[in-house]
Amino acid sequence: MTLEADRLSAEERFRTVFAHLGAVSQFARRRGSKDADALAAEVMTIAWRRLADVPADDPVPWLYGTARNLVLAEARLSAQAKGSSIREPDQVAAAPEPSELDPQLSQALRSLSRLDREALLLIAWEDLTPGQAARVLGINAGAFRVRLLRARRRLRARLERPAADDRPPAALTQLDVEGT
Amino acid sequence: MKNDSTLLRLRRANPYPLPATVDDPALLARITAGPPDSRLRIRPTPRRRRGLVLALSLAVMVLLASTAYALSTWVFPSFVKPEVTALEYRRAQRELPLPPGYSWPVLHFAQNSVTGKGAGGGHAVLISQNAWECYWVDAIRKDDRAAQRQARRHLEALLAHNMIVAPRGAPEDWRPASPPNRPYAVWAYDGGLAWVRGTYELAAAGDSRRLAQSCRANSPR
Repeated sequence: MTLEADRLSAEERFRTVFAHLGAVSQFARRRGSKDADALAAEVMTIAWRRLADVPADDPVPWLYGTARNLVLAEARLSAQAKGSSIREPDQVAAAPEPSELDPQLSQALRSLSRLDREALLLIAWEDLTPGQAARVLGINAGAFRVRLLRARRRLRARLERPAADDRPPAALTQLDVEGT
Repeated sequence: MKNDSTLLRLRRANPYPLPATVDDPALLARITAGPPDSRLRIRPTPRRRRGLVLALSLAVMVLLASTAYALSTWVFPSFVKPEVTALEYRRAQRELPLPPGYSWPVLHFAQNSVTGKGAGGGHAVLISQNAWECYWVDAIRKDDRAAQRQARRHLEALLAHNMIVAPRGAPEDWRPASPPNRPYAVWAYDGGLAWVRGTYELAAAGDSRRLAQSCRANSPR
């Protein structure tokens, strides 16, 4: 009886986590995963096995953090298969290039450090609050706010005074696979 | 911060906008078929444990001090006469709602029979379940969204509160050691309840074939 009650209670709780499947899939897609749907399914499987670790009130940062780790692992495997290092973003497996990508914006983002990019993209693309984004990265909210503020200033400066960098813009989805 | 023009520009460059809710009942069923996180098990708190110990001590004292009649009543409580089953069935009707237009069928229990304790409530749970399933099917046919939601809500409540799965390898007449104080139906450990849950997920996602089949197959009428 107790075991069954435990299972029912766990399933009830997991349903609220599972409701974010689409968001996790899109997150993985934005981060350049080759099979975002499969990766999202894996994130959900991990969440079920480790449900006690998933915050019941706001599971999204935990899910994105796990998805981020899996995307990094996927990128590492892909790089190893090609006999190269993933430190070079351009060598990461191809992700869909957004057709509406603004080259100037892409160039400006590329010029930022990966930590700055990560902070900006978690807010702008994942629509997270600074508190949630901080939990994805495993840092405290105060530190994240400072990082975000600096990142916004740097991005704005780059957009106002484009750097003399002739490198072609990379897909934004490939920019954050290096990890922090 | 959300109105910052740099961030707004960055938002507009989002290659994959935030999705609507994605429902994948098959994946959900596959994942939850595995064992849940064992750390989620409900463990009695020290206070509750003290209460349990006290209650157990009292129960033992009462058992030792009771008469043979009382002992025989407590030792063999799992089967009851038809009158008791009928009474359980009637009591359960007060706790379990039926959809509009449905009524409780009259059940006849053979006078020379005995039934597992709680079975009257179990009958009521399954009748209520079937009625709500048929009501849902009807609501889908009529495209009555409010009635569909109402049916699903009631069925989810039945699944959550009035259905229990017996442990693996339990005998057919298994009943919980501490039965809940509400009508309940016991399901064998064979995935049947997961199938039912999957049926509701499918129906909610627009595929009502299994739901209609269940309505037809289990209807008392």
